[in-house]
Amino acid sequence: MFFKKEKITPCMGYTKIMRDNVRLAALAGAVMFLATIAVLLARQLALVPSRPAPGFRTFGPPDAVVKIEEYSDYACGACRGAAGKLEEMLKIYPGGIRLTLKHYPLVNIHPWSLDAAAYADCAGEQGKFKAYTARLFESQEKWGRTARKPGEFEAFARELSLDWPAMQACAASPQTRQRLKLEMAEGDLKGVSATPTFFINGKRAVGPGQLLEQLRKLDKLLENRNKPAGECPEK
Amino acid sequence: MPGEIISGMETMDSKTNIWKAAGLLARLAVGGVFIYAGTIKLLAPAEEFAYAIETYKVTGPQLSLWAAYVMPWLELYAGLLLVAGIFTRFNAALCGALLLFFEALLAQAWLRGLPVTSCGCFGSGGSNSLPVEFLQNLVFLALAYLAYRFGRLFSADSKAD
Repeated sequence: MFFKKEKITPCMGYTKIMRDNVRLAALAGAVMFLATIAVLLARQLALVPSRPAPGFRTFGPPDAVVKIEEYSDYACGACRGAAGKLEEMLKIYPGGIRLTLKHYPLVNIHPWSLDAAAYADCAGEQGKFKAYTARLFESQEKWGRTARKPGEFEAFARELSLDWPAMQACAASPQTRQRLKLEMAEGDLKGVSATPTFFINGKRAVGPGQLLEQLRKLDKLLENRNKPAGECPEK
Repeated sequence: MPGEIISGMETMDSKTNIWKAAGLLARLAVGGVFIYAGTIKLLAPAEEFAYAIETYKVTGPQLSLWAAYVMPWLELYAGLLLVAGIFTRFNAALCGALLLFFEALLAQAWLRGLPVTSCGCFGSGGSNSLPVEFLQNLVFLALAYLAYRFGRLFSADSKAD
């Protein structure tokens, strides 16, 4: 009914039908194989549409020439270093860079990273994302690997006069958890396995070294962008 | 008269050709939709699609996640094989069966009045209302039938004859 077995003539043996079906099955296998490779490559090359991040995690103008997406973990030392470098770059090239921060807590080695990311977002909803995350990075050795729930999350909130009960409710809410889960899944899909991982105009860089190397290549682009309008380009 | 017989044959032939062309177009339409639906879901986190499946309240979170892993691949493969015309009837029937299954899911959600904001048909982005999606699937179901009956034109199956 489904496969090739119609049009059987007395001269046509089952061998011919079998041969045709085997040939078609091989063709089907080849098509499926190529499609699988294409999808996996598209994922690896990060040709995956990005989920929008909340506004408080996005810095720089939307029409910036260099767009950076960073997958980061608040308990990771290299992420702390990269955060400082990016902060500087944003100051040097205010109109040239757009940075979008994505959470990618490495939950296997950093037991409190996921909570830290949730609290950071909730601080962001109260307008203090930068100040709160700066404190998280500064004290990451203290809270990063402790066995019991760290008191720093609450202490920082109180220091910054944030509404702690509201932050607790927000961090535990299914919406916040769902957003974090999807962001981590997006990172997995793009082949992120270490932090910090950056996508600079779509090109992958892992660690602050690769980030700076790639930004160096884009220096000219950024410098031109930074020049006031009307200024002649250097000869 | 011989002339009448010839013109009658021509009419029959052109009718057959129209059905064949319709079959080919239906095969490309259904296959194309399945390729698009599968690819768009494969390039997004499975958890997103799983979340859409959960809203139908038929499967739990774990089964939804498994379905979200498997279904997009099935859609992509079935769509590609249908477009290429490899085991055309089998793949047209498979697409038809999947469409029937989606219809059942949509219908139960519609009848139960579930708040399904995204049907998950083409990823987890917004979608039409459940009745519109239901009607749209009916059209594709009819096209899948056409592809099943008359979808052999320019197919790998016909080359193997």
